[in-house]
Parts: sequence; C-alpha cells; structure tokens
Amino acid sequence: MSASETSGIITVHGAELNRRGVLAAGGMLLVGFAIATGGDAQAAGTTINPKLSGSWLEIRPDNKVLIRTGKCDFGQSSIYTAYRQIVAEELDLPFEAVTTVVTGDTDHTPDGGGTFDLLGGGTPNLRKVAAYTREALLELASQRLGVARDKLTIDDGIVSGGGKHVSYGELVKDQNFKLTIPVKGELTSIFGLVVEGNPPLKPVGDYKVVGKSFKNSVVVSKVMAKETWVTDVKLPGMLHARTIHPKTLGSTLVSAGQLDKSKFPGAQVVVKGNLVAVVSPSEWEAVQASRQVAAATQWSDWKGLPGSSGLFDHLRKNVDWKAVPVNRSKPSSGDVPTAMASAVKKHSASYEMPYLKHAPIGPTMALADVRPDGSVTLHSRTQNPQALRGQIALMMGIPVQKVVIRTYSGAGHYGRSNGGNAGAEDEAVLLSKELGKPVRVQWMRAEDMQWSTQSSAAYSNIGVGLDASGKIIAYEADHFMPAMQDDRPIGAVLAGLPTMAAPSEKAKDLYTTANSISDDWVYDVVPNLDERAQGTWQIGQRESPLNVGLRNHSMRTPGQFQQNFPRELAISETAALAGADPLQFRIDHAKAERLKSLLERLREESGWETRPSPNRQATSGDLLKGQGVSVMLRAGSYWACACKIALAPSTGQITVEKITMAVDPGIVVNPLQLKRQVEGGTMMGVSEALYEEVAFDEGAVTVQDWRSYPILKMADIPEVKIVLVHRPEVGSYGQGSEGANALAAPAIAAAVFDATGKPARRLPLKPAYIMGLLKA
Amino acid sequence: MLTINVNGKQHAVQSAPSTPLLYVLRNEMDVTSPQFGCGLAQCGACSVLVDGKEVRACVTPVSLAAGKEVTTIEGLTARWAKQKNLPAAAAEKALHPVQEAWIEQQVPLCGFCQNGMMIKATELLETNPKPTDAEIKAAFTTSGPSAHLCRCGSYIAVMDAVRHASALMTKMGSAT
Repeated sequence: MSASETSGIITVHGAELNRRGVLAAGGMLLVGFAIATGGDAQAAGTTINPKLSGSWLEIRPDNKVLIRTGKCDFGQSSIYTAYRQIVAEELDLPFEAVTTVVTGDTDHTPDGGGTFDLLGGGTPNLRKVAAYTREALLELASQRLGVARDKLTIDDGIVSGGGKHVSYGELVKDQNFKLTIPVKGELTSIFGLVVEGNPPLKPVGDYKVVGKSFKNSVVVSKVMAKETWVTDVKLPGMLHARTIHPKTLGSTLVSAGQLDKSKFPGAQVVVKGNLVAVVSPSEWEAVQASRQVAAATQWSDWKGLPGSSGLFDHLRKNVDWKAVPVNRSKPSSGDVPTAMASAVKKHSASYEMPYLKHAPIGPTMALADVRPDGSVTLHSRTQNPQALRGQIALMMGIPVQKVVIRTYSGAGHYGRSNGGNAGAEDEAVLLSKELGKPVRVQWMRAEDMQWSTQSSAAYSNIGVGLDASGKIIAYEADHFMPAMQDDRPIGAVLAGLPTMAAPSEKAKDLYTTANSISDDWVYDVVPNLDERAQGTWQIGQRESPLNVGLRNHSMRTPGQFQQNFPRELAISETAALAGADPLQFRIDHAKAERLKSLLERLREESGWETRPSPNRQATSGDLLKGQGVSVMLRAGSYWACACKIALAPSTGQITVEKITMAVDPGIVVNPLQLKRQVEGGTMMGVSEALYEEVAFDEGAVTVQDWRSYPILKMADIPEVKIVLVHRPEVGSYGQGSEGANALAAPAIAAAVFDATGKPARRLPLKPAYIMGLLKA
Repeated sequence: MLTINVNGKQHAVQSAPSTPLLYVLRNEMDVTSPQFGCGLAQCGACSVLVDGKEVRACVTPVSLAAGKEVTTIEGLTARWAKQKNLPAAAAEKALHPVQEAWIEQQVPLCGFCQNGMMIKATELLETNPKPTDAEIKAAFTTSGPSAHLCRCGSYIAVMDAVRHASALMTKMGSAT
C-alpha cells in the first residue's frame, strides 16, 4: 500500500495530496512544493500566487499539460523537447499533450539552478514531479472508479480498470487538488532546488515517447521572426546605455571624459566609481557619444599580468599553488613511485591550454527598470535567473522578493551565466536606479571580448610508465588551473557596490581556488594511479587595485576540457611508445564494457586504420596525413572521437578532413535533437583546437573582435559523422549538449603527432606553432 | 526626409541619414530579426537583403538604402509569394522554402546568428538555385564582408538546410 489517508490528506510516495473542495469551473491539478529545509528558498517566496506560482505542472480538463521550469533554453532544446517527452512519458500521455512550457522567470517558475545538466543525472526535477503526479492521479481514479490501484492501467491519459475508465481531465475537472512534494536546496544558489523522494518511475522498457525524435517548438518562432529576443524588449521612456570600462584590468578612473553636448545633445554621462556610462534616448547617439567620451576618459596605468606569451612560464615559476590543498581523484590508488621506478619505458610531458572566450555571437545585453519603491525588474538573458536575482538583491541591498528577473531567447554563451550574470545585467540595474528610468545596456563587441569572464588557462604534467608487455603500470598527473568560477557582477565590482567574494582559498564548492579532478578516469586496468589537481587565485586579481584580474568562468565541459586534452594526448603518445595502435591501446586499458564497445563501433564507423603512430606513410602529395582518437566519460555519458587530418608542412596549416563522434549517453531521449547538439559541439571543439586563444598584454585583454579572436568558419568544417548509441538498459539519460566540444582537440593533436611524429602539446594548433614543431 | 522600403512598406526615416540601417530597423520600425552581433561587419547577425543583395545593416548608413528594397526575415514569405505570383490566399499560408527548410532541418541551436544565415541562403538560392557544397561554403565564408559566424556550430545543419531549400525550390519551380 503506497497511499494512506488521514484527515482529508492522502500521502502518495511521500507527497501529500489535499482535496480542497470544488471549484466553480475549470479545475486543474496544482502540483506545488513544500520546502523541506526552509531557509532561503522560503524567503524568496516563489509561491507568490499559490494557484500558479510554485507549480511545476498543470493538468487541464482537456488532458493538456503545462510545465514550468526555472531553467532557460540556451540552444540545447531539452526544455522544449526532452522535458516534454519525459513528462509525457511519466504521465502516459502523447508528446503533443504537453502544450505549454514556461521557463526562466523568477516569479513564474518553481525551481532555480543553472541551465546545465538539464537531464539531471537521469532524473530532472520535472521527471519526479510527473511521477508523483501520476501516482496521485491513480489514487484519485481509484477512488472515483471504486477500483483498486493495482487493477488500474493508464493509456494516453485515460485510467482504466474493472470495465470502467476516466481521463485525467475528468478527474481534475471542477476539483481543486493540491499535491505537495518534497523539495530541498537554496533557490538562489547555482544549483537551485531539487525535488526529493523516490516516486516510482516508469520502467524504461515501457517507453513510448522518450527515444523518439520530436521537433523543437521554439525553432518555428525563431525562423519565422516571431520570437521575442531579449534584444527586442522595449520599455516606455527607456534610455540606451553604453558602458566604458577601465583601460586595464587594474586601472582606476582619473577623470571621466567631457561629453561634447554640441554633437550629442541628447546624451548624458554617468559615473559610478570606476564605471563610466553614456546614455541617450537614441541608441546610435549613445554609441557615438560613448566613443567620444571613452577617448577623453583618463585611467591610471596598471601592469599586473604576465602577458599571454609569458603565461605558462609565469604559471610554472611565479604562481603559488601551495595555498590550497591538492585534491586527488577518487580512483587514485596503488603505489605510483614504485611502479614508475620499475617501468621499462616512460612518457613524461607537459601540456598547455590557453584562456578561451565563451564568445557569444551577441554581446551581453540587459534592460532594467528600477522603480521609486526600490523594486527591480530585469529583462535578461541568463542561464540562472534565481541566482541573478540574488546577486542583484545583494548589490542593491534589497530583499530578493523585490527583484524580478524575466528571461528571453538570446545568444548562447555556453556556461558564462550559469551562476547568474553574463555582464550587462548589474550595470543596467545600477544605471536605472541612478537615472530613475528604464536603462538598456548593450555591450559592444570589444567590451564582450575584453570585460567578460573566460575559460581558464591551465597546464598539466603527465607521467606514464609501461611494463615490458607494453601495458601501463603507472599513471600520474598534476593538473594546474587557477580558480574557475568568478560570479561577481563586474559592474557592481567597478562601482564599488556589494558583491559576493572573489574566489578564494576560504570559499567553498565552485568558488574555491582549489582545483579538483573533473575528468573521469576510464583506464581502469591501470594498477597504479595518482591524479592530482592544484589550484590558485585568478591571475592578476589580487594585484589589481580593482580586485579584477583575468576573471574565469566555467565554459562547456569546465575543468574537464583542461584535463582531458593532456590525458588523452598523453595516452596516444604512450601508445606510440608501446608500439600499439592508439585505439586498441585504449580498449586494452578499459574495463567498462560501454567504453570498449563504443571504441569498437568508432573503429568501424570512422574508417580507422589500425596501426601504431606515427604514420610511416604519412605523405600524400605535398600533405602529411594523420589520424587521432580521444575518449571521455562525462556525467554518465561515454564519448569517443576519431579524426583524420591533412597537414601542409610548408605552412603548418591543418585541415581537419573528417571527424567521427560517437556517444553513448545511456538513453537517447531525442535522436534528432541530440544529433544536432553533437554536431554543434564537435564544431566548437574543432574551433577551440585550431584557432582560439585569448591574447593579453601586461594589463589588459587585447583580443577585441572576430579578427583577433577567430572562430571556425563554414569553409573549414570537416566531414562529420555522428554515431548515437542508444542503450536503454543503462536506465538513465546522459548528457549530450555538452561534452562533444572537448574531444576534438586531443584527437586532432594526436593526428598531428601521427602525421609528423611531433607531439603538439599546446593549444591552439596554429600554423606558426606547428611550423615551430616541424623545425625543432 | 529619407524614405526606405522595408518588406514592401514605405517608411519615413526619423534618424539621421548616417545612422546604421540596423538601428533604424530595430528601433524605429520594430523590424527586429536583424541582430546586433559586432557592429563591425564581421559576423553577419545583422544581415538584410537590399535589392536582393546581402548587406550588413550594422555598418550600412540608412541613406544607402533610400530608394531601394530592403527585405528581412519578416518579409521572406511575401517575397516568395511575389516571386511565385501566388494568389493572396496561398500567399498567406506560404512559407519561404528557406524558412521551411530551416524548420525541417531543425537548424537553430541558440539561433542568434540564423537571421543572417537565412538571408545569405536566400541571396545564394535566388542567384544559384542548385549550389554545390563548395559553392554553399564559399557563399557563407568568402562572398560577403566576412564569414557568417555561428558559435553553436550549426554549419552542418545550415548546409543541410540550404540543400533542402534548394530541393524545395526546384520542386515548387517545376510545379508552377
């Protein structure tokens, strides 16, 4: 017996179903939530309207369903596709029954949390909510039909048993039920709220909706120019602002430039600490006037960065990696020093990964409306509206209830705002407060390149020992990376307003300067393993009078990208040392059947040539040909990549001719969408491997546009083959939209090694670097 | 006062003649499909058709569009209906083949660059209805002031959709 009734409240698998009398008309099943731990989530008060807010899904009398999620779509499509499929599946409804998806807004959706890990380790919040709801509906149907629960079946939203049937819609029509489910967490934290408990989930073998391809509903409105993008939002009387940031990452304001009122009569200069802004009712006037004012603004000089050409020397020699504990990976075990001493052959090398930009196609933009009563409405593009709400409340010194975040479609930015802000939001708020009018802040391209956060640079030292049979007997790695997550809003920092602290040795979780092992170990046969992660402060931050240095932020496959490149390239180099084929070498060192069979599949699908590297017959006309392979395990999904390249020895130019990307995420929820996601991620990976690096001098980031920070163009895309391996027996949904980007770099670098015999251990693989390797 | 024709409608421009077309379209006319990406003609997010040729609205003074036909995504359906001489009833339901292909192929990821991608595809297919893969790549990479950039990496989907649109146009062309 899974349900019990006391005083009108029925408990269903830990959820409470409360019949609250009869409605006059309509009726819906409101699935609200109770806060198990109290605290911040309660204070934030998402249940502003108990009939709507705080509800995750509504079942309508016509058997149609509305769902709400605090997550936002950033191009992954999952909210509009996978979430609908998962809810429909648990409720035994067709996909089309889930007609409405409400996302993002702080006061319209129940949970917070960053828009990442959308499938939630296989059980996203909405899956559990749907499962609880299904149990409640079964209970109601049992009462209505007078048939025991275990005699009831559900098909397409119709509950049947004992020769009788009733639809969900009929069950909820003219009724007012409230189903209370357990939830824990902090609403405005980066992780948001999590639905608790273990309602019975539908057996995977019974799936009808999950596993099929469905189109993404938001694509139509985007293609037909019907979508409201964040850039489209206008408010009466709003001012356009362009913000002017310091000359360097440590410069303070000496004097703001005088505005030429004769040229720009409608414009106005606002100064808040070390932040300068120019506003105007006319956007173009704001753009022009800001250029004039910026040119006339004086900043102090500052030099506190090593410069990108001296970065890795600086990281190796000058940086204190000892202030925080070294973190070891969980599978680290055995006796590496002894095993290494007994090794017949050894590979030992250092690998370097540059700073990367999230580089959204649209620079950050936000529109804020601060009212005289202190309330704030912020129209934004963020991956975590509840966290942004907390940041704005902190900056303004107001309770979170006075802040509403609205979210819209906009440019993807791949993790940059998963902790709340993307750059323009806090500036819009503080300017609106100052001016008493709605203010729209649009960063220009150079601001977005130079004043946004970035993916951290890192370097790794890897050592691998082989025994006489060519098997790895010892593997050790030291991964060095500055703090990865700085969620301080930059405008608030420059204006001297309250923010959360910069990452430090005292901070916890994501905000610590300690590093951790993010790249799951997959070579389980290796008997002696020691993976160490070492961290430090962000470069330049503590030296900067502004407390601003090279601010880092997680970007697709954060930390793992920085650790997987060195590991996988080192494994390819070690295979060469062993005289083994690098793909078979990986199979021989793996235990997980999923990984082994994925690599075997990759070998077939990619046209892999089984042989050791380097390639003895690499020359093809004037080109050198090579192949490379890489693997990764991320959030329960196995990835494997093979690529073929051609390298011009006269120029160092690499052409990626073909990439085969194979992924086994467990259950493939939507093959059509996953294929597009993996294609896209693969292209980003090629871009990161070949072109991307943030240049900076002794004071400032010097990349400023798409010429100084080039990304992949259509003419340079390889032939791409995507292989999706659907494994229902795994029983959970893995991750698809993130991960693919990490595999290209180690596979391409391994192919360079295959083609030339020279290990390319530093990204990006630009022609000048390759030429240097060839001449060495 | 300057007058421009946008998606078949005449519009008197309030802004100064040197104002980039992008700001006039977005802020004066509520034609919002062209997006601000760089302001430097380096990415293609702001592209529009001017007399059938793709231009970057972020660096094109509105005065250069005077007396010419500006087409944006909002006007693609009507442009197709006019080119095909569709009767009014059919025209209302007609999708431009480029839009139909973009939906069928599920091209947009975040979608912010796709305005420019669809504009470039329309320009290409109006002059070259059956482009080869090499011609598609050249159109999106070297034919304009810069390559059309997509950070999400939708290039494969864009190529699939251009081929799809080409097939649709060929099919519809032979049916009329």
